[in-house]
Amino acid sequence: MDNKNISIIHPRPSSIVAALYTLRDLNVDVAILHGPPGCSFKHARLLEEDGIHVVTTALDESGFVFGGHDALVNILHKVNDMFHPKLIGVVGTCASMIIGEEMREPVMEANLDVPVIEVEVHAGYRNNTKGVLFALESALDAGIIDREEFSRQQHLLEEATNVELRHGAASKEYLAPSRGDVKYKVAQRIIELLKEGKRGITIMNAKKETGYMFADITLAVNEVAEKLGKADNIINMSNTDVGLGLPRVRHHAECIMKDFEEKGLNVHEIIGGLDEYPVAGATIDKLIEEKYSDYDFAVISGVPHAIPMDHLAGMEIISVTNGPRQVLPLKELGHEHVLVEIDLHPKTLGVNHIVESEFGATLREVAKESL
Amino acid sequence: MNVHKRIAIYGKGGIGKSSTASNVAAACADEGYKVMIIGCDPKSDSSITLLGGKRIPTILDLLRDGVDVKEEDVVFKGYKGVQCVEVGGPEPGIGCAGRGIIVAIQTLKKISRSLNEMDLIIYDVPGDIVCGGFVAPIRKGLVKEAYVLTSGEYMPLYAANNICRGLAKINTPLSGIICNSRSVSREEEIVTKFAAEIGSELMAFIPKEQIVQDCERDGFSVMEKAPDSNVAQVYRKLARTIMERDSSVMPEALDDDRLRELTK
Ligand code: SF4
Repeated sequence: MDNKNISIIHPRPSSIVAALYTLRDLNVDVAILHGPPGCSFKHARLLEEDGIHVVTTALDESGFVFGGHDALVNILHKVNDMFHPKLIGVVGTCASMIIGEEMREPVMEANLDVPVIEVEVHAGYRNNTKGVLFALESALDAGIIDREEFSRQQHLLEEATNVELRHGAASKEYLAPSRGDVKYKVAQRIIELLKEGKRGITIMNAKKETGYMFADITLAVNEVAEKLGKADNIINMSNTDVGLGLPRVRHHAECIMKDFEEKGLNVHEIIGGLDEYPVAGATIDKLIEEKYSDYDFAVISGVPHAIPMDHLAGMEIISVTNGPRQVLPLKELGHEHVLVEIDLHPKTLGVNHIVESEFGATLREVAKESL
Repeated sequence: MNVHKRIAIYGKGGIGKSSTASNVAAACADEGYKVMIIGCDPKSDSSITLLGGKRIPTILDLLRDGVDVKEEDVVFKGYKGVQCVEVGGPEPGIGCAGRGIIVAIQTLKKISRSLNEMDLIIYDVPGDIVCGGFVAPIRKGLVKEAYVLTSGEYMPLYAANNICRGLAKINTPLSGIICNSRSVSREEEIVTKFAAEIGSELMAFIPKEQIVQDCERDGFSVMEKAPDSNVAQVYRKLARTIMERDSSVMPEALDDDRLRELTK
């Protein structure tokens, strides 16, 4: 791929943050950032909303010069006393890694009777999935996951990177953020299609906890179709296999499926686990080719750019993403309508039920008016 | 008098920068100049022979303890009023010494008034220029000219050549080469040639004499303990040359082949 060598100039999520999220998915109770107090602040706080404690060794100028060994030993003791965790993660940062901090030693010295996963990571990697990989490698070493799960995750990561390079935020040197199309108009369009008796597929191909909000789009489309007496015109696909993924990820799939069930929503096709968004595309493509190629439209939510266009090409595509930089690549792929759910992430952390989306709410409102 | 010499002495580790720097400082003080020596080595022994063998608290020691550092905490008067400062640094193998120099230099710049009143300030910088920290005194605008110390052996010359390359990169002129003799064959000839080929000249040839070691072991400079020795004369002459020198060049480093040929 010749666009592999482009240098992306807009800031990206960092590998440090990616490692933090992975530790969360491994169900650590506490994550210690070994480095400056301000590092990854926004995500650290967000993760606290998600029920894990994120603390920092708060290295300062003196720490950069003299190292942070003692600070790390101290904080390991402190969090152990304060939170009585069952699993602890320690994450490196640029500052601690550049000065050559060793994290194993302080962990050994602290000598807690709790397993500790250390992740030696900084933010200077081209692909932020490196942070995930390092975290998984350490988890494997610590015996928290087995080799099979590790290989599976490794494969997913490679694919996730490819997806971003192909049609995602890493596909161009610079992508201007965009709010996408007007939700109200797109809602009208879906209602129009349903009224005309057109048949549609909802495809939720979401990444982990973002599924809590993208699932609401599936719900809204079905509710509206039902109101219009067209419930049978909709086929639902979602990547909510409850048996796949790291512990927390499986839990999310269970929660979402439970909510679907309670609302009487029928998922016709399970297209993978909540961490399989980078590879679900092939499954989706095959399903459409075999069973749904004559459908008229598709509402795709989550990571729409991971789905190949081969058998979607004839349909009118409405896609919903949470990446403002994803709008242009999706339009270029041939998605007619592209919507962005702003602030999705903060709203889906720390929840265990489906969360209302802006587009879902708009669709429900517009449907009320047009009945 | 009112001169404003701000120099740094670079050179391979162990080549004798500290003894040269402290003896030059002492010699200049003998002449009545206001002199400061700033040791940038984590070993913090650049000024020890000016202080009768005593160690002083370093800037980074205090910083580590969270002290709000004042000038009087880190600037100490030594032989004939030479002001002594030690940057300090982490223990070997942990932390980042380069960052240490940067932080300490910034601190010193902020707290020291006497920095502006000195006739001569000598920065004694460790080893080779290996990272940004080691050129911090220059980059922060505190050093105006550099001297490179070497012997006639291949490795010190190799380092010296590399330092010249670094100096050119950061646009800092070289004022001269100093040879601290290791008594190797044709030493003076080799270093003189090297100096000429990079566009500079040999400022002094310091003979290898036991007296330097002996004074150092006792915790004194040669200027203080053996002022009548032959080598004290050499330091005195070097000090005078440094204070009077007003020409410098942008050095042009040699390529590896030429350097090797030179030392054959
Ligand atoms: S530069 Fe690196 S260590 Fe510093 S705040 Fe950013 S991510 Fe953290």
